[in-house]
Amino acid sequence: MSVVVKQSRAVAINPTRSCAPIGAMLANYGIHGAITINHGSQGCATYPRHQMARHFREPVEVASTSLTEKTTVYGGKGNLLAALKNIWERFHPTMIMVCSTCLSETIGDDIPGVIDEFQENHPEITIPILSVKTPSYIGNHTTGFDNFLREIANNLPDRKKKKGETNGKINIIPGWVNPGDIRELKHIVREMGLHGLWLTDYSETLDGGYYEPRLHFARGGTTVEELRSSAKSLATVALQRLVGGEAAHIYERRYGVPAHVLTMPIGLANTDAFVETLTEITDHTIPEALQVERARLLDALVDTHMFTTGLRVGLFGDPDLLEGLVGLVSEMGMTPAYVLTAGENGPWGERMVELTQELGVESEIILKGDLHELHKRIKAKPVDLIIGHSKGKFIADAEQIPLIRMGFPVEDRFGYHRRSVVGYNGAIALVDEITNVVFERKASSVVSNTLVELGVEGPTSSPIILSNGNGNGKH
Amino acid sequence: MELKCNETLPERALHIALKVEGGKCKRGDGAGCAIVSNSATTPGDMTERGCTYAGCRGVVGGPVKDAIQLTHGPIGCAFFSWGYRPHLADTDFHMKYTFVSDMNETNIVFGGEKKLLQSIIEASQEFPEAKAVFVYNTCSTALIGDDGRDVAKQAEAIIGKPVVFFECEGFKGVSQSAGHHVGNETIFRQLVGSADAAGDFSRTINIVGDYNIKNDIRTFEYLFEAIGLKIITRFTGNVSVDDLKIMHKAALNVVHCQRSATYIADMMQEKYQTPYINVTLWGMKHMAQALRDTAAVFGLEAEAEAVIERELAKIKPKIDYYRQRLTGKKVFIYQGGPRTWHWIELLRELGMETHTAATTFGHDDDYEKIFEQLDEGSMMIDNPNVPELEEILTHRRPDLFISGNKEKYLAYKLGVPFVNGHTYDTGPYAGFLGMVNFARDLDKALYAPIWQTLKRRAKPAPAVHHSAHGFEEVL
Repeated sequence: MSVVVKQSRAVAINPTRSCAPIGAMLANYGIHGAITINHGSQGCATYPRHQMARHFREPVEVASTSLTEKTTVYGGKGNLLAALKNIWERFHPTMIMVCSTCLSETIGDDIPGVIDEFQENHPEITIPILSVKTPSYIGNHTTGFDNFLREIANNLPDRKKKKGETNGKINIIPGWVNPGDIRELKHIVREMGLHGLWLTDYSETLDGGYYEPRLHFARGGTTVEELRSSAKSLATVALQRLVGGEAAHIYERRYGVPAHVLTMPIGLANTDAFVETLTEITDHTIPEALQVERARLLDALVDTHMFTTGLRVGLFGDPDLLEGLVGLVSEMGMTPAYVLTAGENGPWGERMVELTQELGVESEIILKGDLHELHKRIKAKPVDLIIGHSKGKFIADAEQIPLIRMGFPVEDRFGYHRRSVVGYNGAIALVDEITNVVFERKASSVVSNTLVELGVEGPTSSPIILSNGNGNGKH
Repeated sequence: MELKCNETLPERALHIALKVEGGKCKRGDGAGCAIVSNSATTPGDMTERGCTYAGCRGVVGGPVKDAIQLTHGPIGCAFFSWGYRPHLADTDFHMKYTFVSDMNETNIVFGGEKKLLQSIIEASQEFPEAKAVFVYNTCSTALIGDDGRDVAKQAEAIIGKPVVFFECEGFKGVSQSAGHHVGNETIFRQLVGSADAAGDFSRTINIVGDYNIKNDIRTFEYLFEAIGLKIITRFTGNVSVDDLKIMHKAALNVVHCQRSATYIADMMQEKYQTPYINVTLWGMKHMAQALRDTAAVFGLEAEAEAVIERELAKIKPKIDYYRQRLTGKKVFIYQGGPRTWHWIELLRELGMETHTAATTFGHDDDYEKIFEQLDEGSMMIDNPNVPELEEILTHRRPDLFISGNKEKYLAYKLGVPFVNGHTYDTGPYAGFLGMVNFARDLDKALYAPIWQTLKRRAKPAPAVHHSAHGFEEVL
């Protein structure tokens, strides 16, 4: 049976997570023409911009109120008022999101109050101005994303709704995913013959094309008008429990939009659950195209199982990603030996114990963990693969274990933001990638689609070293 | 020269100037005096500036290769400053590991001193081979009044090695420049002179203010060695804690970055009477001059001339090749500080003209040096923000933009060739040999076939289903 352990060190060494403002900034990028003002030190805007630019390889623009020592003493109100005015006058955004920082929260700036004052003084500015609390000392980057979604759900939808009135759409909250994932989810919804209202959609704003001339605001993103109408949707489907799950419940409580909160759709069963939920909400049946994709995933799992079954995998990252990922890892016959996340979320840990039990695998689930901890465990009892974001490369390099890059950030490779890990297609791509990595790692050569392994277990359990057949005999 | 994007921000005119006929300065507000620099950023202007913490942890302290780099604060500051700036050394502990006291809400309410002390002790236990612990303060821990200096003292007594506490909270200054100062001052006060070394130091130097970005230092240290000098300490690229302790033993400080490191040269001159000279270690003329000036202090002029002649002969054919391809190209240089003026002459040696020059955190002396070197008709701009950069790239249309990672994708979206001068896409660029790399990258950026493809084949963005909130229609 799986166990939950909590890392006990006070110092975090090589954390897997970053902080809340970047989550709100990322989510806000999914709204067409929206701009973020970060209320704090300049670094609190510049560091996340830089981080996002390294992951998405796109220009990322976030304004700062540029608080300094003086404004810290006297309060940041003046700077925030000036920033709101300057952003409005120079950009004419469709929406402004103000997110806080350690600095502005600790000095106690009343951001909603300042926004109210600004709107009273500028009745001509009618765009929504949203305040999101994102001090770095609460939660992590996903907390900022989730808080943003809650604020959207609480403040943006138009409450006036006639009985039975709908926009015919389904609110879909993908959570913290990549542009490629959102595009894959859109593909599924489109194939189902449905219309999604995406909360939010940065599939194009953070993975845009080259156009001449450059547009003032990047193409894509959910519009404010769509957000206004989101109270009239048929249902809300949140695809991550901790990022957007609560927002889905807010839609249900405040506007009577039924909430469906699911596990991130990675792998066969998790994707099935998403597709089946869509059929429950509407009376649409599963279309031929998706049935074929699903069958193709099953086929890929069958074709590869001899190479993946029994492998031990170390997983780290955000809780929702891990919850989805153990599904696919188990479907591939692999053991999610270590499942490490930074949060101290006890209920999540318990759910993972149940989930791994259902899946028939045994894991060590590590809460409040960091990468140094994962490294120590891998040294003590090795794994065949590591799955997680780019910072896992230090373990992978040191231990000569392949790293399957997934999550945020992937900053040392190109194009991962364009890939999809969700849906049947995302799973197929992952199955292929993982199997190929196994081929590269374990095989001295591949003959007739079979591995010629580096060594075999002999009767005395001392490995018999095989000649590779390529003449050099070296491993 | 009036930038359209600044119509509503008249104060920005004080930060922009043209070099007009007769070499005079014409500032944006019509005045004939120098531009305003090192002043508070206009809130919400989309600045590119970072914070004091970034200047201290990221620039000055971070490259020290055998110190534990511990951030006292919440997770974000430590995550974002981890491993992205390629200040390389001959070991990579400082690139691979980041440590953070991981302040949570309870710590912010009840104080973080205990957790900091525990963090220092634990970090030191995990990595006993580290030679010191560098602790960087952040906004929130400064505001709640944690006495980090006292904790550092206690910790030092327990772990028996230096614990260096940097008071570099993000909001302290108007830019990262304040953090450089804190870094210099703290290292000087706590480490320099804390150990002694025997031997003959009469022909020794320190390289001050070079951070070994992509091994820049390797391109010139052998030149100084070839003229008979020994390098004691590199401040702070590829430096150990022990090197910093005996920094005062060197006979001369050779100061490269004169924004981030003159502070320590000044302090050493006052306390230890160590003389210093200012040099530029990029480009043929300046690199040669640096060797001459350094050699002159030691009476090694003949040796210097021999080295210069030999090295220049090595690169001349290559530089000649690139010069005929690069001549006449107009460049916009935008760097953090001194690199902007360091490179004007280098580009001139390649036949290129700097027609716009900007820095993020330059002071008056940086702008004097820039202005002196610019040709008439050139523009100078302090702390440019995103709309200004976009307008310059679109309307002044340089042939090439030299800037950093954040600005890279903006340039690309506008179809402007780009070279990454902050972290170098390849590099190194310093010294004689590095200049060939620099020229090669300039050439690659300018002549890559993609620009012709864009010219011939790029198309406007297709219409979207919702009306874009266009820039032109609003103004």
